[in-house]
Amino acid sequence: MTVKELCGKCGFSAVTLPQEDREIKGCYIGDLLSWVMGRAQEDNVWITIMSNINIVAVASLADVSCVVLAEGVTLEDDVRKTAEAKGVNILSSPLPSYETAKAVWENI
Amino acid sequence: MKELSLNILDIAMNSVKAGADTIKIILTETGDIFKMSVEDNGCGMKEDFLKTVTDPFSTTRTTRKVGMGIPLLKLAAEQTGGSLSIKSRHESEYPENHGTVTEAVFNKNTVDFTPLGDVISTVVTLIQGSPGIRWIFSHKTPKGEVSLDTDELKAILGDVPLNNPEVLTWIGDYLKEAYEEIK
Repeated sequence: MTVKELCGKCGFSAVTLPQEDREIKGCYIGDLLSWVMGRAQEDNVWITIMSNINIVAVASLADVSCVVLAEGVTLEDDVRKTAEAKGVNILSSPLPSYETAKAVWENI
Repeated sequence: MKELSLNILDIAMNSVKAGADTIKIILTETGDIFKMSVEDNGCGMKEDFLKTVTDPFSTTRTTRKVGMGIPLLKLAAEQTGGSLSIKSRHESEYPENHGTVTEAVFNKNTVDFTPLGDVISTVVTLIQGSPGIRWIFSHKTPKGEVSLDTDELKAILGDVPLNNPEVLTWIGDYLKEAYEEIK
């Protein structure tokens, strides 16, 4: 499944989708960025409530397929622009991390 | 990072890479404030590079395009309502007194304060890895101070190297005892 398809099926909204056709494989949840850096796998959906510019760098380093911002967390515009420029997909979910992960699991 | 001591290790390793021969790690606790500073006399950074170090997409590493040590430390400090500052003098402009001071200020009484963790292991690891450097460590709390200066140790040790396993064990034990006294 691609990031774009996941976005539609789970009812998430797209914050920026510079690589909407990336394939998804598995999911990782975490907010401590250094921890996520070493543990999220390539092509994972990464669910977090963090919105600092560092999430773009961590997503890029771990090479996840997309970031899903849980709990309706919003991004500063410069963070969104950086994500777009670096090819990092970012979606937004109104649900808490657990329910967001459930929606991913049910649709993936 | 899960522990600030890992951030200290990371920052101090930058000082080692910058060719410093003296590195000071100073921790100060007063009231709600926890301040950590790493001061070195390494080559320093030029102004334009200094401006980019808190940007997670810049780094001195060539293996990847992002360097996360400083950006994560900045985030950890800001999450508590604190801040990060870096002052640096590059050797090209300051041939006599170059170096870098990285200082992070935390409000230690917020729930998002990252615990210090095992700073003794950090200090021992740094001495073990770079025994030629003069390491000065100080941790001041309202109850007292834990401090270590490897030049003072060298004066006593004579020809025994600082990274001798028995010396490293002694340093660890000495720091542990010193921490017990200011508990």
